Amino acid sequence: MTLDHPLPAAPEQLEELSAEGLGERRTPGFIRSAILTQPAALVGLAVLFFFVFIAIFGSYLEPYSIHDKTGPVYAPPSSAHWLGTDDGGVDMLSLLIAGTRVSMEVGFAAALVAMLIGGAVGVISGFVGGIIDVVLMRITDIFLVIPDIPLMIVMAAIFGRSLKNIIIIIGIIYWTSTARLIRAQVKSVRERVYVKRARSLGATNNRLVFKHVLPQVAPLLIANTVLTVAVAIFDETALSFLGLGDPSAISLGKVIENAFERAAISSGAWWAIVPPGILVALIILSCSLIGGALEDSLNPRLRVAHLGARTFRLRPLVGRSPEAL
Amino acid sequence: MEGRADYVVKRTLFALLTAFVAVTINFLLFRALPGDAVSGLRCQHCTFQFKTALRHDLGLDKSKWEQYKIYLKQLAHGNLGLSDVSHQPVRGLLWDPLKNTLLMLTLGTVFSIVFGLLTGVVAAWRRGTWVDKGSLWTSLAFYSMPTQWLGLMIVYFVADRIGLPHGGIQSPDLGILGNPSTYDYWKDRLEHMILPALTLGLVLYGEYTLIVRSAMLETLGEDYVLTARAKGLSNFAIVRKHGLRNAMLPIVTLIALSLGFIVGGAITVEYVFDYPGIGLAIVDAIDKRDYTFLQGAFLLLTISVILFNFLADLLYFKLDPRVTT
Amino acid sequence: MTPLLQIEDLHVWFDIEDAPELHAVQGVSMSLAAGERLGLVGESGCGKTTTALAVLGLLPPTASVSGKVRLEGTDLLAQGEESVLPHRWVDIAIVFQGAMNALNPVRTIGSQIVEALELHGRATGSAARAQSANLLESVGIPGSRAERFPHELSGGMRQRAAIAMALSCDPKVLIADEPTTALDVMVQAQILELLDRLCRDFGLALILVTHDLPVVAQLCSQAAVMYAGEIVENGRVDDLYHEPRHPYTRMLFAATPDLSARHGEIASIPGAPPRLDRPLTGCPFKSRCDSAFEPCTAERPRLNAVGAEHEAACHLNDRAQASA
Repeated sequence: MTLDHPLPAAPEQLEELSAEGLGERRTPGFIRSAILTQPAALVGLAVLFFFVFIAIFGSYLEPYSIHDKTGPVYAPPSSAHWLGTDDGGVDMLSLLIAGTRVSMEVGFAAALVAMLIGGAVGVISGFVGGIIDVVLMRITDIFLVIPDIPLMIVMAAIFGRSLKNIIIIIGIIYWTSTARLIRAQVKSVRERVYVKRARSLGATNNRLVFKHVLPQVAPLLIANTVLTVAVAIFDETALSFLGLGDPSAISLGKVIENAFERAAISSGAWWAIVPPGILVALIILSCSLIGGALEDSLNPRLRVAHLGARTFRLRPLVGRSPEAL
Repeated sequence: MEGRADYVVKRTLFALLTAFVAVTINFLLFRALPGDAVSGLRCQHCTFQFKTALRHDLGLDKSKWEQYKIYLKQLAHGNLGLSDVSHQPVRGLLWDPLKNTLLMLTLGTVFSIVFGLLTGVVAAWRRGTWVDKGSLWTSLAFYSMPTQWLGLMIVYFVADRIGLPHGGIQSPDLGILGNPSTYDYWKDRLEHMILPALTLGLVLYGEYTLIVRSAMLETLGEDYVLTARAKGLSNFAIVRKHGLRNAMLPIVTLIALSLGFIVGGAITVEYVFDYPGIGLAIVDAIDKRDYTFLQGAFLLLTISVILFNFLADLLYFKLDPRVTT
Repeated sequence: MTPLLQIEDLHVWFDIEDAPELHAVQGVSMSLAAGERLGLVGESGCGKTTTALAVLGLLPPTASVSGKVRLEGTDLLAQGEESVLPHRWVDIAIVFQGAMNALNPVRTIGSQIVEALELHGRATGSAARAQSANLLESVGIPGSRAERFPHELSGGMRQRAAIAMALSCDPKVLIADEPTTALDVMVQAQILELLDRLCRDFGLALILVTHDLPVVAQLCSQAAVMYAGEIVENGRVDDLYHEPRHPYTRMLFAATPDLSARHGEIASIPGAPPRLDRPLTGCPFKSRCDSAFEPCTAERPRLNAVGAEHEAACHLNDRAQASA
């Protein structure tokens, strides 16, 4: 999934401009500039920061405890309970804040697991090559064939419904696409780096080369991880909904499930149904925007778009001025 | 051309190999469970002796390797075993839910593909205009929503307004006044399928629009589009004959690949709408610890992913004359 | 006699991020008579390709254009895309660089030629297919190859096919943008020979855009040298070679490796062309010129006549004239 990328300039001049400006080097400021130049990504980042803030400081913001009945059952929003109460009289706003924390925890943790495994496999496979590469890639191929959600459901059912298990399960399923991506990148970087080292030292030092390879691979890894967070939260929500989430940790998915199980629809309690889904969608959306923008920047499309809604524009005649321009 | 035939042979072999590995993993997954189907049984006459005898009958006391061989032999005869719960052949038990799911999925995917293509092409062609931005954000929104939540929203806000049922597959009052006509029967079925199909279709629509738009943008920047323009073709003709025709390559491949994983989305949708398809059957089977059934269902899902991957390979081969290896 | 094609004061700007605009073509004027062959020469980035594309209005939506492109008196750019569209391919056709993906990879080359024939009403159906095969034969490709896909042809044959396609609707002008770049030397010679023969046989006018001087020398009678978006010298190829009146032209010819010379010294022009996303003061070539003097810093030289059918934009000429 890619988002918009600003239209570039004239075919010939662009090559020169980009060679001056962007270059092949991925400097640390690269990520910053990638996000700052794309408004969609900025919005995504702002939203994500908001949610991270809630996740970290949420417990101080909850107006009521989520374990106590503090209001009537399925009470509509009021000044006492801004988002009403659920079927147990628990304040919805507090539930949502707590749920956000759990969902974010699981999402980030699972993505981290996927990133660590996938990154490691990708780097090893791409760098070492040979039989290890072949074996690892075959394993990856096999993982890719197994349908994700059914597998997660089955594993959750088998291994129990703790938060830790959910994190591990999600991470195990998604390391494969990360691994493939990183492997491709490592392979291309490796060519470049080897050429440099062969010229300068003559002897290769694996440790030093790691220092060259990893920084080049890092931006792609980060972009991919952000996108994995989105998928992880999506999946966790689905798992909780099916009753396979951790019963003691209430994620936003569980909030939705509760609404479903406990007749929120027939009670007309929209405040129990609508908000949690909106929050999940927003988190996933912001991660997608950021990850997508990062990925776009890593593949600068130097192509001119030959077709568009408008055509080239006409201007009034300039005329040759005798003075210097 | 030998190169082309080689490709088909290679992909077929790969598909078969993966299928075999999938079958094996399927076996391992379900036999590696802590406690088998028998140990979980709780009933009046389920004494230790009874369980041991049952275990023997089911062949669960043999070594893993023996069980594996039996499993393979049974599979070769199309025997998926007997359900642990109802003791009916799993194959028969899978059939009805499968039909229901397939019908619903077909409805949903046709919707999403048709509208996804339309929106994606127009968005790419009219890049940067409000049509593009609007459809981009809409697609992102649908893509980010948890499927089950979208289903709940549809049930809550839409179902009653247009007089569609909240769930199930058949109205309880159908056939009250005698045998329903074929028309009535199918009309009733359709009414029950529309909302789940729509839910799934909307989420897929989001994904497919993004895919199509991306592929079209890529294609419209290619050199041969400039040639087509130079030849004097109208924008519409260019988009159709050079843009879409070439963009279909990645589009078809990506859509075919995603179809293999759709069942994941179907599971949550069926749960929300209480629609008796494969997804719901799987959830039920997990609840009841019907591992043999799960094994069969899971195998079915995995094989379908492999099948769709293979289909994607073949389609790509058919559409792209450059493919030789 | 009205020239066949006349470009009057053409300017092209591109919108780019981080900068107001890129002024890629800065007031280019050229004329081309029927059957005449003009070489448009310069380094990459000088705006020659953009100029060629602008003639057919093949610019992206980020571009804006001013000036006139007159074909037999009619301004093609009068209403932008609308007014130039009917003239594409039937009056002016273009062949792109060999390295480009200029032919659609998933369609046979025959079908792509047929597309042009059918679009402009030259033939349909089997008659079109037959004519397409004939066209391929006339450029030296066996007619049976019409059923092949572009990737099945060598680079040279793809270029020939592109040329065949360009000629399919009997244009009056052919624009060839770097037609021999990325082809090996033997194939280059063949393509040039082909262009030579076809232009002669069909009375085509040719605009050959290239950075390769020997190619211009071989094929063209006139040449225009471009630098930093404008024409700095134009005239007969012989005059440009023997009596260059702009330091850039002189240095360009000097930089061309002469295979017959004993010493293999390749003189290259130090420095780089100026950025066109900023306004320029003075002569754009001043930083790389070996004869820059006082007026070059602030005053931009104008294109003035320096001989019969020979113009150059350099203060050195003005000084020589003034003192004459």
